[in-house]
Amino acid sequence: MNNDEQKKEGPPMEGEGEQLKREREEYLNGWKRAKADLINYQKDEGKRFEEVMKFGMAEMMRDFIPVLDSFDLALSMFEREGKAERGMYMIQAQLEDALKKKGLERMTTSVGMVFDPALHESVGEIESDAPPGTIAEEIEKGYRLQGRIVRPARVKLAKLKTQN
Amino acid sequence: MSKIIGIDLGTTNSAAAVVEAGQPRIIENVEGNRTMPSVVAVNKANERLVGLLAKRQSVTNPKSTIFSVKRLIGRKWTDPEVQRDKAWLPYEMKESGSGGVEIKLGDEWRSPEEISAMILAKIKADCEAKLGETIDEAVITVPAYFDDSQRQATKNAGEIAGFKVRRILNEPTAAALAYGLNKKTNEKIVVYDFGGGTFDVSVLEVGGDTVEVKSTGGDTHLGGDDFDKAINEYLVKEYKKQEGIDISNDALALQRLKEATERAKHELSTSFEAEINLPYITSDAAGPKHFLMKLTRAKLEELVRSEIDRSITILDKVITDAKLNIKAIDEIVLVGGQTRMPAIQEAVKKYFGKDPHRDINPDEVVALGAAVQAGILQGDVKDILLLDVTPLSVGIETLGGIFTRLIEKNTTIPTAKTQVFSTAADSQTSVEIHVLQGERQMASDNKTLARFILDGIPPSPRGMPQIKVIFDIDANGILNVSAKDKATGKMQSVKIEASTGMSKEEVERLKAEAAASAETDRAKREIAEVRNNADQLLYTAEKSLRDASDKVPAEVKDGINKKIEALKSVKDGSDLERIKSATAELSNEIQKIGAAMYGKGAQEPPHEPSEGPGTK
Repeated sequence: MNNDEQKKEGPPMEGEGEQLKREREEYLNGWKRAKADLINYQKDEGKRFEEVMKFGMAEMMRDFIPVLDSFDLALSMFEREGKAERGMYMIQAQLEDALKKKGLERMTTSVGMVFDPALHESVGEIESDAPPGTIAEEIEKGYRLQGRIVRPARVKLAKLKTQN
Repeated sequence: MSKIIGIDLGTTNSAAAVVEAGQPRIIENVEGNRTMPSVVAVNKANERLVGLLAKRQSVTNPKSTIFSVKRLIGRKWTDPEVQRDKAWLPYEMKESGSGGVEIKLGDEWRSPEEISAMILAKIKADCEAKLGETIDEAVITVPAYFDDSQRQATKNAGEIAGFKVRRILNEPTAAALAYGLNKKTNEKIVVYDFGGGTFDVSVLEVGGDTVEVKSTGGDTHLGGDDFDKAINEYLVKEYKKQEGIDISNDALALQRLKEATERAKHELSTSFEAEINLPYITSDAAGPKHFLMKLTRAKLEELVRSEIDRSITILDKVITDAKLNIKAIDEIVLVGGQTRMPAIQEAVKKYFGKDPHRDINPDEVVALGAAVQAGILQGDVKDILLLDVTPLSVGIETLGGIFTRLIEKNTTIPTAKTQVFSTAADSQTSVEIHVLQGERQMASDNKTLARFILDGIPPSPRGMPQIKVIFDIDANGILNVSAKDKATGKMQSVKIEASTGMSKEEVERLKAEAAASAETDRAKREIAEVRNNADQLLYTAEKSLRDASDKVPAEVKDGINKKIEALKSVKDGSDLERIKSATAELSNEIQKIGAAMYGKGAQEPPHEPSEGPGTK
């Protein structure tokens, strides 16, 4: 594009100084942006690393929870048959303590508690004296890892008793 | 300008992604998950729940828990699909005033758009919380077969949720974008999408700047959920056969089995056998019953073979309908969690005779592609800085002819790296800096870029001088190498203009060569390193003998001298083990010097700490 055309089309002719100034701005901005990108990336990376450290264990805990469930089932079975033995509870406590050190916490859920899907998962309904819609029975315990729910408590909700 | 996000609004799950610093990434929701169930519910307290929380209460609130709404959006009430789905969906629905569908959610009748909008509104809120800024614009994906009315309804849903919908994008196109296939010219791409509940096949044609959907097909009721069902049914039946107990009516047992099956299914993608171990699954008069069964990959494949075959039949029909030859297909992309199954990957590979793309998480690829489209629309910040990478490593030759890399290949430039080296001999007053480029372990196998000498180093024992070598590649690929003696401040440098001036073929050839000779190179390098160790030890041994000659008994000296001679005689040979053992023997032997000296020292306590250990 020659100068004549530029004049005809109207845009003011850009002096060399102007052009350099504009380029300088552009480059400086690009530089700042690149630097900011890096700093932000480093910050994010730090945060991500923390997250990984904190919740990297969640996968492993998800594999452990069914073992804890089986333990609960076994103990309740023994209790029913009157065969529960103290040593069994001690082994369970050992396992739970070991996992607790890694941040796994068992949630307490009790009958009559208000059902909260942030903490509980409903798997059915049973007739109960508890107010309808509240928790009537805990089927499987809920677990938190570092405060975050890794498995909600599996519960049955109360429904009105059918009149006889 | 606020960011535009990409949303995969799925039948069973949804996900969102955003482009940051040129790369798309998934945005986690507030529950900390990368995908979210596409479920909306209203509970008895008349509170609205969306996503995971809605799913968690679906069993006890089936009438007011809405899922699979994507199956209904933008369809007429009389649509056969709607009539078919109406039969199995547990919630209430009716014909709307305009001939569409209305769904009962709690006490109110809602359109499918409104339900979808609730899902999108949660995605919007979660993204805003995660990114810390207001999000107003989105790209939303839909299946390629969606008609105008379904697309419009999806767009409406986005707008109800408070988005300006910048684009309704086809899911297969999004998948292709995630793999960067839009940059190809005149290619035909097949996208095989095996989701949780639906199966879709699309043929795309990429040309110029456009991606065009050439043909589509699928089955709206074929998906990974069918696999889970088939496996569960088999296990329940098998258990009944083995133990004579029917657990098909035991909700808790089924729940545990379902979870264990899902874990086993995932495990079988990487291993050939998985064990399903569920102690105390139930009990009868005889006492507790346990569930223990092995599931092999072969059995799993047998159970779902008919579903996989059906998908391949559909695939074949789509290709045939498009009047395409299998040979004409350039790329295949796998989408949907179920495509992690090796049997599916093999079936697709067998059909096309080539490997499909499957590097990107198949649950996330559509959302990531939607984010790529959003990034294009956003026209990201004008990138005046196109950063290049070094195609090959650069470094210098060090003792024993070893190539020591300072800047590794694929490092983004401009970049600089500094390393301190020293001399290899006593009283060495100059060092040669031999600058090389390549991927081989030994200097002589790589390409020499330059050589220069740094002299004027004050005479001193080997290892004492500190020579700082700086490699600096500027944005234009020009390599500056400088060497500086720390003691004198003397410096030499060289500028190499053509360090990256190699043709692509040449670079590839060199890389291939390096890969091919990796094994022999490693052996060469190892022997060089072992010799360097031997050299270093010989030097130390001879120096120690000199320094301590009057304090060490003659028999110790003789012993060491013998070992020194032994090591010298094998050092330049090629028997690695002999050099190693001779080095180890000498190393043991010279410890007698210390023992002899300390033995004496015990009688006359040390009073000159400066002569103690620490001065090498």
